[in-house]
Amino acid sequence: MAEFVNLYLVNGIVLGCVYGLGAIGITMIFGILRFGHFAHGDMMTSGAYIALALVWASGLPVLWVLPLAMVLTAALGAGVHWAFYRPLGTGTHSTIIIVIASFGVALMLRSAVQLFFGVDIVTYKRGFQTPILVFDTIRVLPRHLWIIGLTVVLVAALHLFLKHSRLGKAMRAMSDNPALARISGVGTTRVVIAAWVIGGALAAAGGVFLGIDTQLSSQMGWNLILPMFAAAVLGGIGNPIGAALGALVVGVAEELVTYPWFGDPLISPAYKSAVSFAILVGLLIWRPTGLTRGRVF
Amino acid sequence: MDPSTLGLILYGLGLANLAAIYAVMVLGLNLNWGVTGLFNAGVSGFFAVGAYTSVILTAPDSPQFLGGFDLPLPVGMLAAMLFSGLVALAIGAITIRLRSDYLAIGTIGIAEIIRLVLKNEEWLTNGVRGITTIPRPFVGDTALASELSYLAMTLVILLVLYALLEGALRSPWGRMMRAIRDSESTAAAAGKNVDARRLEAFVLGSMLMGLGGALFAHYLRYIGPEATEPITTTFLVWVMLIAGGSGNNRGAILGAFVVWIIWSATELVTRQLPTEWAVRASYLRIFLIGLLLQFVLQRFSRGILPERNPAERAATGPQDKVL
Amino acid sequence: MTPLLDARGLFAGYGGLDILRGCNLTVAPREMVVIVGPNGAGKSTAMKALFGLVKIRDGRVTFNAADITNARPESLAPRGLAYVPQEGNVFATMTVEENLDMGAYTRRGGIAEAKARIFDLLPALALKRRHAAGELSGGQRQMVAIGRALMMEPKLLMLDEPSAGLSPKVLTEILDAIAAINAAGVAILMVEQNAKAALAIAHRGYVLAGGTNRFEGPGPELLANREVAASFLGG
Repeated sequence: MAEFVNLYLVNGIVLGCVYGLGAIGITMIFGILRFGHFAHGDMMTSGAYIALALVWASGLPVLWVLPLAMVLTAALGAGVHWAFYRPLGTGTHSTIIIVIASFGVALMLRSAVQLFFGVDIVTYKRGFQTPILVFDTIRVLPRHLWIIGLTVVLVAALHLFLKHSRLGKAMRAMSDNPALARISGVGTTRVVIAAWVIGGALAAAGGVFLGIDTQLSSQMGWNLILPMFAAAVLGGIGNPIGAALGALVVGVAEELVTYPWFGDPLISPAYKSAVSFAILVGLLIWRPTGLTRGRVF
Repeated sequence: MDPSTLGLILYGLGLANLAAIYAVMVLGLNLNWGVTGLFNAGVSGFFAVGAYTSVILTAPDSPQFLGGFDLPLPVGMLAAMLFSGLVALAIGAITIRLRSDYLAIGTIGIAEIIRLVLKNEEWLTNGVRGITTIPRPFVGDTALASELSYLAMTLVILLVLYALLEGALRSPWGRMMRAIRDSESTAAAAGKNVDARRLEAFVLGSMLMGLGGALFAHYLRYIGPEATEPITTTFLVWVMLIAGGSGNNRGAILGAFVVWIIWSATELVTRQLPTEWAVRASYLRIFLIGLLLQFVLQRFSRGILPERNPAERAATGPQDKVL
Repeated sequence: MTPLLDARGLFAGYGGLDILRGCNLTVAPREMVVIVGPNGAGKSTAMKALFGLVKIRDGRVTFNAADITNARPESLAPRGLAYVPQEGNVFATMTVEENLDMGAYTRRGGIAEAKARIFDLLPALALKRRHAAGELSGGQRQMVAIGRALMMEPKLLMLDEPSAGLSPKVLTEILDAIAAINAAGVAILMVEQNAKAALAIAHRGYVLAGGTNRFEGPGPELLANREVAASFLGG
């Protein structure tokens, strides 16, 4: 039991946190701009490496530079939108051109990281960490506690923002019914920029957390695309909190299928990504609105 | 012949060979996207299936992977097409009705799963080490003759495919495909089995990608799971199609040659640099190709793509435009 | 008296095709004006064109003497122009209360009081204030849609077929509410399929057919006009 929780459940939750921070951005962009942002994983990679650069430059621990990394990645997101997506005419009838462009952007972000940092694997400076004992049997690594705790804080802050602030409500309105939002006087530019800023900032956090938990590599973000899309669809496209919850399900599910339930794991750990693929395809066929009955686009 | 001239000619032939192989795949993608409006983002997966199928069936016996069938090359290539077609049929049957973004992610997923299988099932594929005992036709006395004959074979295949596809496009089948691409609801109302037709286009296009994979493997005499990296294969093929003008078979072939020449030319340039820089410069090449794609999309988005995304409803006017 | 809304010689449509072919509309302050006519006459298109949702190819629209021809829709709410479209007129995933909040998006203050007034006017909404608008019945949704538009305390409220898909009893409630809103001083421009009921409560009416004006006059007069009734009001 202890092994189950320590090695699998906690890992699944941590993975879910990383997926969730990215999936929130994906679902917001889907809801407000109406296209699947395939460069979001590489945006997380960019955020992680921006943080790395800040760590090298300042000598501070990575969590200290995280806020600045989030701000810079938010700017990156807005910049990418302005340079590559806006000129192609985003809107409810976003043609597939923008999706193709986002593949290109993914590649550009990844190769920029490779150009400046190379392809070798790096880590944030990390000392040895002794696990913290919880409830006398469960051992959790401090870095896992940080990741889970900070993710909860960020998601809670986002929820409050969306629920109670004027801009947050405007974003939900635009995601729900863009024409009516405009009729009500909502300026679309502001909402779109907000979506990129929030998406970029959370992507940076997700990337940094992944880097903290494992390591940094130029492929790290692209590998998350499948589970993050699965999470977004699971939570109902356009529903950020749904995406966070969906991500938790996907993360835990991935770990659970590799747990040796009956002596052997259900599937070989090498095929973990097949889990999110199966979830995604299953949803798209049987329940495209997701668990929370979001919109179907 | 002067060795440097020979080197240049051989280099040019190598360029032409690979460009022609890519052209076969771009024709396949054009069938998916340009003709029918299907966003197939899993090109590398079908490429890999085709490559490995042909290799496994034609390679001599080996303890490292499932070899020993020793079948002749044409059988290998036909099997490559058949197998990629089957995989496409399986995934297409499930996903063909999805909206484009979702079809994209579905095909990405299948390419990823294929990559995992190729990497992990070592009994079948020799895993990450790849396979090097691949037979190649026309391996004669001189490199020149070998390159020329392979090129001749590839060009013949390319021309036959081109003729077949052009014929198909002019036929009632082709007109129906374009009708489905432009207005799915109208085509469906006219009683056409839209899903079946789209599945056809998906499978046929993927078969061509598999053939490309086979041609590739037999030419280079090496195949490995990382050779099917989505980055190079899928992305390059898409850039070739977009740059060349999709919906248009001639444009597809032209795009393949032009982009491949640009791609290789930049490699020539970076190879001159000292090693440390050369490695980094290769990432710069990818960055610039990505930038090139953005430029082409922004300048020429009109007319490059099918007029309407088949998975969307008919436009209700400009009031839904967000920005 | 200067009209509140003045549209002259409108030509508008989708793509290259004109649906409106020389249409004129005016609304005076506090007036209730109704647009009726057969299907395809361009009534909805006229509404959308006024609100910048369909491109006006030729002609001019002014509101409060300011030119709003082809203005961006989001710039109209701050001017005091509210619009309730026929379809997609609520934020289905947001609660009733949040819908009203969105209606007040361009307001600076007094939102709570405005909400209280709306709940007074439409008491059925107060009961459902925390429910998602998408879960409500057709009639209740229509009330939410109108309530959202009223939150900005517009000078002119435009409605596109408010009775669409509603039962006769609910239709009466809706029209009563609209009449009450007009009595409170809000000018109304309304497209209505149920011509008889609408013209009975209107100050003036336009009959649109084939994208142009056919008849115009005080509501009861149009109702009584036999030619109008026979050819355009569906008997």
